[in-house]
Amino acid sequence: MSGKPKKAFHSRRRREKTANTVSFLLVVFLALGAMFPIWWIFRSSLMTNAQLMTNPPVLFPKEWLFSNYTETLKSFLFWRYFKNTMTIIVPSVLAGTITATMCGYAFARLRFPGKKFLFSLCIGSMLLPGMVTLVPLYITWTKFLHLGGTYWPLIIPFFCGGGAFNIFLIRQFIRTIPRELDEAATIDGAGHIRILTNIIVPAIKPAMIVVALMMFIFLWNDVLNQMVYINSMEQYTIAIGLNIFRGAYGTNWKNTMAATCMSFMPGVIFYLIGQKYFVEGIVMTGMKN
Amino acid sequence: MEATTHTKKKTCAPIRIKEARTAYLLLIPAILGLVFITYLPLLAAFGISFYSWKGLGTPKFIGLANYVKLFTIDPYFTDSIKVTVLFALLAVVGSMIYSLFVALLLNRKIPARAFWRAVFYLPYMLPAIAVYIGWQWLYDTSFGLINYILCAMGIERINFLGDPKWVLPALAMIAVWTSGNLIVIFLAGFQNVPRVYHEAAEIDGANSWQRFWNITMPCMTPIIFYNLLMSLITNMQVVTPALALTNGGPGNRTTFMTYLMYRYAFKSNQIGYACAISFVFFILIAIFTGILFATSKSWIFYEGGDEK
Repeated sequence: MSGKPKKAFHSRRRREKTANTVSFLLVVFLALGAMFPIWWIFRSSLMTNAQLMTNPPVLFPKEWLFSNYTETLKSFLFWRYFKNTMTIIVPSVLAGTITATMCGYAFARLRFPGKKFLFSLCIGSMLLPGMVTLVPLYITWTKFLHLGGTYWPLIIPFFCGGGAFNIFLIRQFIRTIPRELDEAATIDGAGHIRILTNIIVPAIKPAMIVVALMMFIFLWNDVLNQMVYINSMEQYTIAIGLNIFRGAYGTNWKNTMAATCMSFMPGVIFYLIGQKYFVEGIVMTGMKN
Repeated sequence: MEATTHTKKKTCAPIRIKEARTAYLLLIPAILGLVFITYLPLLAAFGISFYSWKGLGTPKFIGLANYVKLFTIDPYFTDSIKVTVLFALLAVVGSMIYSLFVALLLNRKIPARAFWRAVFYLPYMLPAIAVYIGWQWLYDTSFGLINYILCAMGIERINFLGDPKWVLPALAMIAVWTSGNLIVIFLAGFQNVPRVYHEAAEIDGANSWQRFWNITMPCMTPIIFYNLLMSLITNMQVVTPALALTNGGPGNRTTFMTYLMYRYAFKSNQIGYACAISFVFFILIAIFTGILFATSKSWIFYEGGDEK
């Protein structure tokens, strides 16, 4: 009598195990597929143009010509571009994270008139595509504030909470922290700002890291705004510099691929450093809407 | 009784006011942002769209003329709507299927899960322009990897980025490749599906397929909706491939709406006209999100409503 369910249980266990093995094989296969383009670009950056045009193509270059990189660096001024990119990203990400935390805290914990209205304005702006406001903002920055040709139009918007999405994320995360902690601190005589800096901020560090990385990726990927506001060679960022380099050396594939690989590097390095926090942070935030 | 509530109110009031003051103080950045970089520019774009303005001199009010011109004589505009929507459709459907599938696999008990998750996420971390330039080389007609594989399989070479038929699917493929962020959000969603439901169903004898369709998927619908919405808004705004690779070609096949707006505003200084395009775009997005929200009630499952 007890044998039948046991058997069923065992066969189910076995089926589950096969399913896990199949999933694993599929994951490995797909991951190889996803990584292959990166490998292909990388190996192309280490070969001569003649080797790149042989048929069939080789998977592993015979010798690794890192000299391609030194050659590319002569006209692809990576370090300058990197420095310029960081000049935009570092203040933006810092200011964005701090202001998003401030605003997220106010929405999560404080009571004030007009909260619902402000919050729905905030959520509404998440659905507003950035391209719609591009032209009016351009006119404001260049014609009224005369900040054309500087990085300010790219940086200042991040002093305003770094985007509704990030405020929302911080708010969601703060709401998962038990209120008793705040209340205990209030009894000890702490004000709201003290609670924010001494209790909330240490507790929401993972969410703050997620927000910082989100902003980093946004700026890192943004081409349109940089193309609109950056116009002198001294100011080129990695994205603009790479685009210009491709325009000039387009079919010189080995050098173009070397420049592409160099542009990949900072993102990869930051990701390797931050990935643990990042993924955990998203998981913890739960993304419950 | 009345007296006590009265005194209570009195002692509470200053604290309340202080709390509100702190809140407004903390919200100054957000309020400034919402007013000056979101809603006022939106209104401005709407206003400017009724003017003819070259960027210099005084704008001239021309009523709806910009809109009339867009829908009647502009040689690019209607095509740009078509290609934008088509691209967004391909990219959204492709990346939703891909990322849901990968997340599903990664949600099983497999070795080194964190490592594989990182691998699938990596393409999302690469700067967009470098991604497109790298893929341009992969798509190369004569020496590209993809055409080599096609050739080996006996399929004729395809000029992916130069053939009007192929350029949108080819670009959508890149969007799918970089959709690692969706995978991570899906994974987070899977981990929030309550265990007890699965256990209960297992006791009732439901197999894993039944459990997937009747428990996992309903619990995932809010996350699917969120990813769908965000991925739609992102992909509708596609512009980087046109800026980096195709310049709108071949044959206007990649003259996306954002790219067209950029070209009118910054290459030929037709500010008013460009604003009309962005406003039409805004309406288009509003319609799409409206449809999504309207249909959402029929397919999104909210767990007993205890979230609210």
